[in-house]
Amino acid sequence: MARSKATDPPADLLGPVQGEVSWFCCGTAWGPCSSTGKGACGTCNSGSLQHAWPNTSDACWSITRPDRCGVSLSRRTCGYRHRVTALCSGASVVTAIADCGPQTDLFCGERSCCGATCADNRLIDLTPAAYSQIASLSSGLRPVEISSA
Amino acid sequence: MHGIAASQPYVIAFFLLWAGLMKLLSRRMRAQAGRTALARLSGPARAVPALRLVGLGELAVAAALLLPPLHLLDAVAAALLSAGFLVYLAYASVAAPASSCGCLGTHSRPVDVRAFARAGLLLAAALLTALGTRPAAPGAGAPGTVTGVQAGLEAGVKAGVKAADGLAAPVPAVIVLEVIVLLALSAELDRYWLTPLRRLLVRLRRPLAAPPQERVPLEASLHLLRRSPAYCSAAAGLTSDVLETWDEDGMRFVVYGARDRTAVFAVPLSGDDPGAVRVALVAEPPLSGSPA
Amino acid sequence: MRSRRDVLRSAVLGGGAGVVAATAMGSLGPEAAFAAQKTAQKVEPGAPDPDFAEGRIRSIKDNTLLVLGSNLVFHTIRVVDGTSLWKLGPVPFDAARPGDGLYARGVRMPDGMLAAESVWLNIVNIRGHIKNIAGQTLRLDHNGHEVLCHVVPGKSVAIHSESPPTADLSMLKVSQHVQILGAWRPDTNEVDIATVFSPH
Repeated sequence: MARSKATDPPADLLGPVQGEVSWFCCGTAWGPCSSTGKGACGTCNSGSLQHAWPNTSDACWSITRPDRCGVSLSRRTCGYRHRVTALCSGASVVTAIADCGPQTDLFCGERSCCGATCADNRLIDLTPAAYSQIASLSSGLRPVEISSA
Repeated sequence: MHGIAASQPYVIAFFLLWAGLMKLLSRRMRAQAGRTALARLSGPARAVPALRLVGLGELAVAAALLLPPLHLLDAVAAALLSAGFLVYLAYASVAAPASSCGCLGTHSRPVDVRAFARAGLLLAAALLTALGTRPAAPGAGAPGTVTGVQAGLEAGVKAGVKAADGLAAPVPAVIVLEVIVLLALSAELDRYWLTPLRRLLVRLRRPLAAPPQERVPLEASLHLLRRSPAYCSAAAGLTSDVLETWDEDGMRFVVYGARDRTAVFAVPLSGDDPGAVRVALVAEPPLSGSPA
Repeated sequence: MRSRRDVLRSAVLGGGAGVVAATAMGSLGPEAAFAAQKTAQKVEPGAPDPDFAEGRIRSIKDNTLLVLGSNLVFHTIRVVDGTSLWKLGPVPFDAARPGDGLYARGVRMPDGMLAAESVWLNIVNIRGHIKNIAGQTLRLDHNGHEVLCHVVPGKSVAIHSESPPTADLSMLKVSQHVQILGAWRPDTNEVDIATVFSPH
């Protein structure tokens, strides 16, 4: 597992940060998603333009631990807006924080590429509604750029 | 059978010591207190103090069981604690089904049938201890009253003891078996024996070692496609997922909708060079076709 | 179908008639899209996206799916020739069955119907620890719930970070954390695997 010292200050403070994005379901749902619940903010729904962020609180950070992958991210709370831009297509979506996640440290060092552009580490998870605006749900994982909206 | 009953306080005390020390000393367990069902019961802010309180209670009962003389009250306290565990587990499985129990250590799995079985076994051991414990004689210390119910139960135990004596059960073997069963029911220990065992079996049996497939899975081609510069150049215009694919002349053709046009990609079936993927946009509306 | 495939094949391999070069499309390049992102988003962040639907198919009539959303809102989804359907891979319309879960993206019509561009049937994207591997199945611990994940020969692949996808899933280990993208078998805790994403 590629673990290294976290960057200081947070990588996303001064400008956009690149990482991997996946999607997750939340709210009322079918199948294995039905037990997920409405997320850490209590507002999460698969059909809304929302996302999960690894640093919404101390408790959240202790679960996701992006610092173990060498990435420090700013504390952003429920409702904060990020813009996620697919690195190759340039398609983007602005979403609001509704949950804590992803568990960055469990996939430390993972890399996704598109053309000559690559991004490391899972830094954000989108709801299906948001993810499907910038990529196909069947792709599962894409490299993106994340910035404050 | 007397030997089995006499050994139960030590078995129970062992597990209570383990549980109590983990709750009081494990920093990781305190860090994860917020994710246990106890946090749901006590409120997240009071999860750590509640964990410590339960730990102290477990240590106190363990000490009472270990320090002679063994009193009926000690066994009753152990039985009440075990019954409390069962009630707590039932609460956890209903009120916080996704939370871990925070019983003997740190693991994130929620309460399952094994946790109930372990708590039930501990309760049975505590009851056996209570029934096998002679109440203290009046004037010899703390009061102990034998109720009619207990007298009846004791008579039952004695009858059972006689029957068991007839079987001449090897007491140490039964106790070892009991401890092994209790340990095996502890999900907290799975990573030390169950996971390595499963890994070993997987290594020996190689269950997923599939014979080489003649056909390249579509997902493998799509992964190469998504990594390609050709896909990058056209991805912003794609409006659908894959509409149609077919294989021809060593290439896999993949068709997407691109608004009122069709995007067709040619992905080599052999090799792993994203640069070899080609794309064209055809000025005709997409038609869905049967997948290859 | 054959002749159409010939047209598409010759277009991508040899510049047949009717081909529009990607560069000639102008707006398709990423630079243009990055510029276009400055335009305001139609839907407020955090709000439900009207061009997206989620739920389970109640009935199918002609080319229309009647879907009951998990939030108990009904959606009428129209599937046309240009609509892609996914169910462990691209499938024709007749693969859709009542009871299937779905996500759909398209364009919401004034009459409330969703004209679908993409429909994903039973798609799930779950993360968890592999509890056990036996036969052609993985037992996944997903948020404390066991999900039985089936390897489908010829379809399931594993992606180990940067390595090319492989149909050989024997590198997966008990207790490792993975992401599984697959198709749920309705009303069960079972999933057919499309892709296993493994960080190592």
